[in-house]
Amino acid sequence: MIYSEEDLVVLLKSGDESAFSYLYDHYSGALNGIIYKMINDTAMAEDILQEAFVKIWNNFSSYDSTKGRLFTWMLNITRNLAIDTIRSKGYKKQSKIQSSEIAVGNVSNNINENERFDGLGIRKQVTLLKEDQKRIIDLAYFEGFTQNEISQQLGIPLGTVKTRMRAAMSELKRLLQN
Amino acid sequence: MNKEEFISSGLLELYALGISSPEEKLLVEENLSQFPELKEELNDIEGSLESYAQANALQPSSDVKEKLMNRVFSQESKVESTQAPVVSINKRNTSIPFYKFLAAASIILLFGSIVLNYTYYRKYNKATDDLQVAQQKIEQTDASNEAMTKDLEVVTNRYARPVVLNGTANSPDAVAKIFWMKNTGQVYIDPTNLPQVPAGKQYQLWAIVDGKPVDAGLITTEKGTYHIQKMKSFGKAEAFAITLEKEGGSPAPTMSEMVVISKM
Repeated sequence: MIYSEEDLVVLLKSGDESAFSYLYDHYSGALNGIIYKMINDTAMAEDILQEAFVKIWNNFSSYDSTKGRLFTWMLNITRNLAIDTIRSKGYKKQSKIQSSEIAVGNVSNNINENERFDGLGIRKQVTLLKEDQKRIIDLAYFEGFTQNEISQQLGIPLGTVKTRMRAAMSELKRLLQN
Repeated sequence: MNKEEFISSGLLELYALGISSPEEKLLVEENLSQFPELKEELNDIEGSLESYAQANALQPSSDVKEKLMNRVFSQESKVESTQAPVVSINKRNTSIPFYKFLAAASIILLFGSIVLNYTYYRKYNKATDDLQVAQQKIEQTDASNEAMTKDLEVVTNRYARPVVLNGTANSPDAVAKIFWMKNTGQVYIDPTNLPQVPAGKQYQLWAIVDGKPVDAGLITTEKGTYHIQKMKSFGKAEAFAITLEKEGGSPAPTMSEMVVISKM
């Protein structure tokens, strides 16, 4: 069963369990991928994912579709939780232990599972994105960097972040529409 | 800033990425409400990002969903199910049904009653036994008092003339006394110091009147002990003697079995 976003929102606002199950099935991978890129720890990422969905469920009445898409709202909740975790003391200890090599391995292990969300060849299209454009989107989207942090990270003026981001996003949009 | 300029400013992208400053965010939301077409543009951007995120999806392990669904939905049912016991506990605390109080009180009273009953029953039994013993003692004392009073009446009678009967060769230690009332002729014997009677035998008193022995009566025991007892009356007699005869007495004394005899 496939819900339109509008129907899904209505059902979720009425507290429908199967709609929530669908929401999870449909978005947990995308959200988990983003959390994992921020955290680099499978178990911790999954803990945050669970917390995020609990929060999404409990606060669903505050979602306002006029302000943006459902996924954007869910992602903001999820990303804020991940950022809180990164800033907490416990995470700093944990992150020292975490090996980046294992992290890389984990990502590649899960590539096949991603295929079911990749029916339109999205993944392939995304690989066509230029490296610097991919980087600027990833910093904002996957790593939760602010505009300031992005300008520092990439060594570009703050005012340029907007235009570069706009260009990268236009390219992404173009690729995805092909 | 017109619509086109706004679209090309990159503010919508930053907004969709969630990295716009508070001022930029406010500006975007103002423009969105002003130009519905901007909403479409934003939706496109968000859609692209969503696809991008899906392209980078990393499936969590399957137990995450299980845990999550349990947590979200059994938590709700837990809240409901824990509310019910809370109410019932309160109820239990505030109002135990009256019949339960009665039942509990009854059981306590019953046990108390059983203990008291048992205690008092034992006391009652003991008191009854004690009373019987006391009454028996009193009866015995009364009886012996009466006997002694009678004995004493005889002994202390002002007309009583004591006659001592001394032991014969048959039983030298035997002694008996006769109290002979001079006014009435009544004869009382005190056989206390006679030897124990053999089984099937009985002492018999004889008065010697005009040289001949006359039966003066059988000496009886009362529960194995002798008391002063009234015998037959004699106006005159030369002597008294006691012989051991077969039970029930003999018409004539067995002289060989004479135990005591008086000297008048």
